[in-house]
Amino acid sequence: MLLQLNNIFKWVNSGGQRIFLLKDINLEVEEGEFISIMGPSGSGKSTLLNVIGMLDTFDEGEYNFLEESVHDLKEKHRANLYKEYIGFVFQSYHLLDELTVQENLEMPLIYKKFKGSERKAMVADMLDRFSIVGKKDLFPAQLSGGQQQLVGIARALISNPKLILADEPTGNLNSKQGEEIMELFKQLNDEGVTIIQVTHSEKNAEYGSRIINLLDGRMI
Amino acid sequence: MILNNLKIAWRSILKNKLFSFINVIGLSIGLCAAMVIGAIVYYDFSFDKFHTDGDRIYRIVSVFKSKEGEFSNRGVAVPLMRTFQEGVAGVEVTAPFMNTTFYKVQNREANLDFKDIENSIMADDAYFELFQYEWLAGDKATALSGPGQVVLSQKKAEIYFPHTQMANVVGRTLVYNDSIPVKVTGVVADFKEKSDLNFTEFMSMASAKIFDEQDITTSDQWNSTSSGDQLFIKVADLSRLNEIQSRLDALALEHKNMEPWAVDDDRLFVLQPLSEIHFGGKYGDFPFNNSEHVASMSVLKSLAFVALFLLLLGCANFINLNSAQALTRAKEIGIRKTLGSSKKQVVRQFLGETLILTSLAAVVSLFLAPLLLQQFMDFLPSGINLGVLFSPQGILGIVLLILVVSILSGFYPAFVLSRFKPVSVLKGQFVKGDKGVRLRKTLTVFQFVVAQVFVISTMLVGKQLYYVMNKDMGIKTDAIAYVNLPWNNNTEQKKERLLERIKEIKGLSNVSWANNPPASNSVSSTMLTYFQDGAEMHQETEILWGDINYLKTYNIPILSGRERLNDSIQEYVVNEAFAKALGFQEPSEVVGTMLKLDTMNIPVVGLMKDFNQRSLKSDIRPLALTGNWKNRSFSMINSIHFDLGNNSEQWSESIEQVENAWAAVYPDEEVKVKFMDEIVQGFYRKEKSTVQLLKWATGLAILISCMGLLGLVVYTTERRIKEIGVRKVLGANLAQLNMLLCKEFLLLVGIAFVLSVPIAWYLIEEWIQGFAYKTTLSWWVFMSSGVGMVLVALAVIGTRTYRTANINPVESLRSE
Repeated sequence: MLLQLNNIFKWVNSGGQRIFLLKDINLEVEEGEFISIMGPSGSGKSTLLNVIGMLDTFDEGEYNFLEESVHDLKEKHRANLYKEYIGFVFQSYHLLDELTVQENLEMPLIYKKFKGSERKAMVADMLDRFSIVGKKDLFPAQLSGGQQQLVGIARALISNPKLILADEPTGNLNSKQGEEIMELFKQLNDEGVTIIQVTHSEKNAEYGSRIINLLDGRMI
Repeated sequence: MILNNLKIAWRSILKNKLFSFINVIGLSIGLCAAMVIGAIVYYDFSFDKFHTDGDRIYRIVSVFKSKEGEFSNRGVAVPLMRTFQEGVAGVEVTAPFMNTTFYKVQNREANLDFKDIENSIMADDAYFELFQYEWLAGDKATALSGPGQVVLSQKKAEIYFPHTQMANVVGRTLVYNDSIPVKVTGVVADFKEKSDLNFTEFMSMASAKIFDEQDITTSDQWNSTSSGDQLFIKVADLSRLNEIQSRLDALALEHKNMEPWAVDDDRLFVLQPLSEIHFGGKYGDFPFNNSEHVASMSVLKSLAFVALFLLLLGCANFINLNSAQALTRAKEIGIRKTLGSSKKQVVRQFLGETLILTSLAAVVSLFLAPLLLQQFMDFLPSGINLGVLFSPQGILGIVLLILVVSILSGFYPAFVLSRFKPVSVLKGQFVKGDKGVRLRKTLTVFQFVVAQVFVISTMLVGKQLYYVMNKDMGIKTDAIAYVNLPWNNNTEQKKERLLERIKEIKGLSNVSWANNPPASNSVSSTMLTYFQDGAEMHQETEILWGDINYLKTYNIPILSGRERLNDSIQEYVVNEAFAKALGFQEPSEVVGTMLKLDTMNIPVVGLMKDFNQRSLKSDIRPLALTGNWKNRSFSMINSIHFDLGNNSEQWSESIEQVENAWAAVYPDEEVKVKFMDEIVQGFYRKEKSTVQLLKWATGLAILISCMGLLGLVVYTTERRIKEIGVRKVLGANLAQLNMLLCKEFLLLVGIAFVLSVPIAWYLIEEWIQGFAYKTTLSWWVFMSSGVGMVLVALAVIGTRTYRTANINPVESLRSE
């Protein structure tokens, strides 16, 4: 088992009232799964994804990730854990504007202290795999949305994560680009990468092996 | 990793050109000031650091305490030298020497004549034992042991004996003051390092008698102190300083001046370490009689403060802009953190960026530094240059400066940036009411307080300077000039011939001979005795010597009594201050008082109106004017004064005629006509340089602060574009929007003004204590400087807010 959420609650206090963002979430994810999280705006999809990604905290419940009890870890250890095993893909790509495609891909490797030669090889490999060798010296602003997301995914994959978390990865793309990205996810999943995506689109959700529906912070 | 960070840093610097520009310029101004001022400070601290056992070398100086205050004299009474030569416990070497000048030196073999020889001393072999010179020829141990022996510095030897090897110079003979043959017994190399001991001619002390100078072996003038009589010692051990000092105290007491007028006064002998000589010690004397520069610790301190403040302003700018900018970079931080960057790595990256900007600023300031130094050249000693910046110490200093400034200005922004939580950043929601705002406002207020204090100080110092330079001193200074007569090779006949010739010049009127002009930096004073209710009283009185035209020339009115009967009669005309000092309620009653000088009784015949004898820093002192009634060999006449008249077109012709007259009487001497108004201006050279420095500091402080303000305005207005759009849609007009945007910044400038007024007032109040005559610290100066600052700030703010307020709401409200 890759991860397990037991009775996760998350809330904020507003005007004397407790508003639940996540309510009693129970979820088990096996390696190799491709899960789609769906639900209307404000239902807690992104919050759930951020909790899984350890970017956000929760107020109650247990979260186990690869035998580690995330709820007992200090922030620093939590950060180390997600650095090691999780790759993020964002709706608005979040590439670093000042860096070229190649440098954007290299960034996570630098933080993981890979040697220069290793980094070069891994980046070249990734560029090759995604057929973007020709774009390696371009800056994000010089790419189309689909190409930027391609780089975003490549960057998420480069350090061989066990889990990819994608928050509406096709939200800013047109339908053709979206389809291509989803095909890519499918292919990655076939190669063994676990993926959890948040999406609004029924069609995109179909790519996954399991769909989780959220409403007002609850799984339904 | 490092390379990568540098690359990113460089690109983000390029991306935010305006911010980077402001940062670099702000920092480089601060760094530039620090470098220039550092070079000045280093210069003054690097004198006489190279002497063997320099820490054990001391000079003995005299301090006089009387009811008029404390005075110091860098010399000592000559018999003290003998006492030390005979041996004082704890002293290893005793090296007395006397500053001296020779009016003529001749190398008769080569038929060469040299006049007015300065930078000379009379010393004995101990001098060279104390200060290690490199000997090019001659024997260090005996070179100054007998009469008629002289040691020359290499430069001097090359002048006296051109094209001669140093070894051959030794043994030659020079003729001093027309008749005294002296043998050259050694040549020493001039010091290569910086030193105040810039003597070039060392006459043996044993020749003192031949030169009519005080002889250490016989003098018993314990109560006569000349600043040229120097006593240096090397103490055997620093722990014995107290022992030596108590011996000095005992000697001072033993030889106290018991004259009735001096019995209440004290004279102390004080040990002055060699390292303090360049700074003149407690009383700011010049290091030696022939020195041209004395470093002032207080000036260096204020310079250092100016540099520090400019540097801090630059840092404040940096912190302000970068922590404000932090939000725009938040996204980058968020991404970096999700990609695995730790807090430490973010901090390191931004410190790296700061380091790059600071280094860039340092490079810029290296180019600016010579320009800044140029501005201060007028009042800095000529030896200062920026070469020291490129010496190993200089480079080390600059590197340290860069590091300190980088850390000081980079730490806080880096800290702020690294604290961002990736999830909130990536969600697009920033922490509202971020804490940095208060810090940024504080820093902006700090910047404007500094700038405002500079502005007010500059205006008030300028006002005071204008006041003292334009205040009526009580004497005529326009169109009055004088010539000083040569002090050697002169006779009374020659003086009279010149006086007659100058009197004949048509354009001149009120030609008068005298000693000093009524206002000058030279003072002669004497103790006059008078009787009051039968008791003998003493009054320290400044003396002016002049003929009966003197008061007319300088337009000084006689208030009561009469002018002296002739030029050489024993009569005094005194000023009002003198009358008051003697206790006359009605000053005119002083006329008729008999004064006693030594054994002579001299009547006061007239009362002249008070005038300022020196700069307006000092009060009017009791003064008496008298004629040249001493015997002829002691003539007090040494200058001729004249009025050039109202027609300024004629002046140059008249002066030419004076020069011709001079040339006819003194064909070998150079003539120098001095103008009274220039003499008066010269009193305030230091104040003028203060104003100059303040002007620069003010300009730079305003520049940095306004740039900082601009950066803050740019940032804030950009953040509020949406709000402005909404307000505009709701019906706000341009003026209202501008007001809205300006308000918060003007408030900061206002707070800064309120804080700066008392600070500036206190500083100026301290400074102006140095003047006997003070301008008023008018409220309008404070107000106008405040209003001026608000206007400048408004101009800076307005350029940005106007643009922001003009943006079409359709654009600013469009959602992506």
